[in-house]
Amino acid sequence: MTKPATRTNAAKTGAMAATKTRATGEKKAKASASQVPQGLLPTPIYPRLDALSRTKAWMGWAGYISPSVLDTVEFEYFAIRNQTTLFDISPMHKYRLRGPDAEAVLNRLVTRDVSKIKPGRVGYAIWCDEDGMAIDDGTLFRLGKNDFRLCCQERMLGWVQDAAWGFNVTVEDESQTMAGLSLQGPTSFSLLNDAGLGKVAKLKPFDLAQIEPGLWVSRTGFTGDLGYELWVDWDQVLDLWDRLWAASTHWGLRAIGYEALNIVRIEAGFIAAGVDFQPIHTTMRLGRGRTPLELGFGRMVDFNKGHFNGRRALLRQQQAGALRSHLVKIELGGFKPADGALLYHQKKKEVGHVTSGIWSPTVKRNVALAEFKAPFGVGVTDDLWAEIYVHEEGQWSKRLVEVTVQDGPFFSNPRARANPPLAF
Amino acid sequence: MSSATAKTDRNAPHETFDAIVIGAGHNGLTAAATLARKGKRVCVIERNEQVGGMMTDTLLAPGVMAPRMAHLLYNLNATVARELGLGGRIPLRTATLPTVALSPEGAHVVIRGGQAERVDGSAHQQADVFAALHRRLLRFAELLARLANQTPPKLAGGLTNPDTLSELSVLARLGLDLKLMGRKEMQEFLRITLSNVHDLLVDELGDGPLAGAMAADAVRGAFAGPRSPGTVFALMYRLGSPKPPGTASARATGREGGISRSGGGSADPVLPLDGMGAVAEAFARAATDAGAEIRCGQGVAKVLTDTEDRVNGVALEDGSTLLATTILSSAGPLQTMEMTGPAHFDIEAVRRFRNLRHKGTTAKVNLLLSDTPTFTDLPPELAAGRLLIAPSSAYVERAFNPAKYNEMPTAPVIEMVLPGLSQGSSGKDAAKPDQQVLSAIINFVPPSPKKGWRASERRALLKVLLSTLEAYAPGISKLVTASEVIAPDDIAAETGAPGGHWHHLEMGLDQILTLRPTNGTAHYAFGPQGLYLCAASAHPGGDITGAPGRNSALQALKTGSA
Repeated sequence: MTKPATRTNAAKTGAMAATKTRATGEKKAKASASQVPQGLLPTPIYPRLDALSRTKAWMGWAGYISPSVLDTVEFEYFAIRNQTTLFDISPMHKYRLRGPDAEAVLNRLVTRDVSKIKPGRVGYAIWCDEDGMAIDDGTLFRLGKNDFRLCCQERMLGWVQDAAWGFNVTVEDESQTMAGLSLQGPTSFSLLNDAGLGKVAKLKPFDLAQIEPGLWVSRTGFTGDLGYELWVDWDQVLDLWDRLWAASTHWGLRAIGYEALNIVRIEAGFIAAGVDFQPIHTTMRLGRGRTPLELGFGRMVDFNKGHFNGRRALLRQQQAGALRSHLVKIELGGFKPADGALLYHQKKKEVGHVTSGIWSPTVKRNVALAEFKAPFGVGVTDDLWAEIYVHEEGQWSKRLVEVTVQDGPFFSNPRARANPPLAF
Repeated sequence: MSSATAKTDRNAPHETFDAIVIGAGHNGLTAAATLARKGKRVCVIERNEQVGGMMTDTLLAPGVMAPRMAHLLYNLNATVARELGLGGRIPLRTATLPTVALSPEGAHVVIRGGQAERVDGSAHQQADVFAALHRRLLRFAELLARLANQTPPKLAGGLTNPDTLSELSVLARLGLDLKLMGRKEMQEFLRITLSNVHDLLVDELGDGPLAGAMAADAVRGAFAGPRSPGTVFALMYRLGSPKPPGTASARATGREGGISRSGGGSADPVLPLDGMGAVAEAFARAATDAGAEIRCGQGVAKVLTDTEDRVNGVALEDGSTLLATTILSSAGPLQTMEMTGPAHFDIEAVRRFRNLRHKGTTAKVNLLLSDTPTFTDLPPELAAGRLLIAPSSAYVERAFNPAKYNEMPTAPVIEMVLPGLSQGSSGKDAAKPDQQVLSAIINFVPPSPKKGWRASERRALLKVLLSTLEAYAPGISKLVTASEVIAPDDIAAETGAPGGHWHHLEMGLDQILTLRPTNGTAHYAFGPQGLYLCAASAHPGGDITGAPGRNSALQALKTGSA
């Protein structure tokens, strides 16, 4: 709850008192103060995942138990690209902004023009601190004219509340009240159709609609393929999972873990916070933050929409042409994944490093996201090399492979954009 | 929240100025005068019916005027006074006052020209130690005061940036002068500047009225006691007034920008003989003589911006619009931000403004006395001086305690003046020559009492004041024929000073120099292009100096569109 800082502010108290937050977790914690949960928590889906998990390879995601791999990475990866898959995205941080000023607050928060995201649409967004350094990126769901949900990786409640101070808007942390399932893959529409959710046929990419009471579906995902995200109340998500699973007979449905998802997101060219850039609020060292311009999101920065956080710093950087680095997609020689490899110009001068690298089984190429020191990667794209260290049964070897800068995603299939969605 | 944009939808085009100054306090007027002297068309917008801000007179009783808030001048910036012609071209009658540190035992101490003596003129046992300490503090204060006439240095531009280099050259000169003082003095400067004034005073002087007087001066207006860190700096700030360039001997001649001060660099306070309102009028005249326009009785409702992240005017409370691409605001950063709309500021900036420290602990009480009061063991002629009730540094520290818990003081620190006792003072009721105004600044009062500053809280404060005064001037309560209590909330409401803080913002180490008012806003400009802060919440800070106003105007001329 924000408090007016001074007496002269009293007139605004009404608006500010409206900036309330419901932290369900806090309430729960209060109710059972003697039983503060320790360690990672199960999401409602955990019983199903545990039953499916052969590897018991779990990882922590925003305080929840999340599968890293359930069966094998290969099975899961190919299921994403050839069948359909379910991934529990409930741990994601979700913030609901409602009120007459919701659009203004979000326009202040993020670099793109939120007014261009119409009700029933979803938009990718990135947001910055006052120095123009990216705090996090995420997806912005516009449920109505004055109703938004911001989904992201980093905890953001305090930041969003501060952005909303002085505006007529409510901010609610839905991280522990809204659950989500990501259904991705070519047969995902067919499965939804069989599950009685054929109405999703009308959804174009980045569309959002309430398909059934309390069930919102968006045609979005982190795979660059045909896929949907389904959003329901925390206590209804297990029923939804069972409903989808019951309809999966013909469609090769598999539950997947993060490792397979990570391969497809790199194929799709999507960046990950904390991997391809360091969220500025989590960095300790000077100069480790990156601006959206440096991350290659210049098109996501709208200098004409009015002030937004970091605008002045970003404008200065753009006008001075003072980009320090470029995050770009690259293809590398050979087939050894280049994750973490150092990059060189003319095989001598160190000019960057790979932030995410994989061998893509679908496009059969060695691909990566890489950060170059400017002007390399954009101004200078010739004669670039990567030094990949390979470990094979106790023996290290070094390979110098050629690097080609890429435009566009590595994996792109028309089925991802087809309207209506194709029934594979 | 959509950004309000100046619309030219009326038949008559809006009036256009080069610059608009919000608030006609002395800093706003100084800023306006400085800009107008450079040929800019300036309009000052004042919400109240009169100019002056904290520097006004009040009608205490029919025919009797009293200083409403501030009642003395301490360190009017000499450069400002010279540039504005205050005390020169624009006459300003003043008298330098001795300070009398009252003692409940009657062992009062008189401080005059940096020297301490007994009320009977005999030497104080600590006279030499005090004179040496005072000289040293003044010398240090003068060093620091050089920074007061400059925009604080920022290093963000890097050493290749000419602006940064010129700002750093001020620091470099300061460093050189520190060195030139000699190793021992430099070490002493570095040792004490950031420390607390209590330790310094008690180490040098022992505790008593002399230490109490300096401790009280160090914390007047602050939410701090003499044991709080940074209070030595605050004392130096109060003592320090930079010499105008090229007049190195100005202080020695006792004339500084026309305002008389006693010789020898005393930092004695100065009483305006025609009231504080006359000082405000002098500032206003300097502004209007230079060509600025001053409009009273109409406040600014909103600062207007265009789509290019620039200010382009103000909307007044009556709905009319004035256009200008440079706006200087005397209000605090939070208030100015709200007038402009938070959407135009970065989230971090708003967060910092919301968390600024500005708890007002200072109240003003004016008493109308039917006769001149008699202070025990104090020769009548000294009652015309600045009287301090701060019998020891420990007393000042204890006086701060209740304010921490928002409680009424029981033994407050009081600075009082009876202006009518000074020769040549005006503003008295001719029909009642014995009648006297007693103007008292009280520290420390609760910043926000639990139930607010109601009539009962004001009565309680008045009672505390009178019972405290009784110990020094028995029978004074019976002389009171009229009184007014001006609490922090009145100060906030009448002047716009955030929290009613005497200096707009606490002069703590976290809110001075490059951090005043906050990190990233020490260059006066903040938020949209063309918006500047020009009053006590900006560097160098509070008191009637005029320095923030002048610095801000110069910065606007240098970087802005004015």
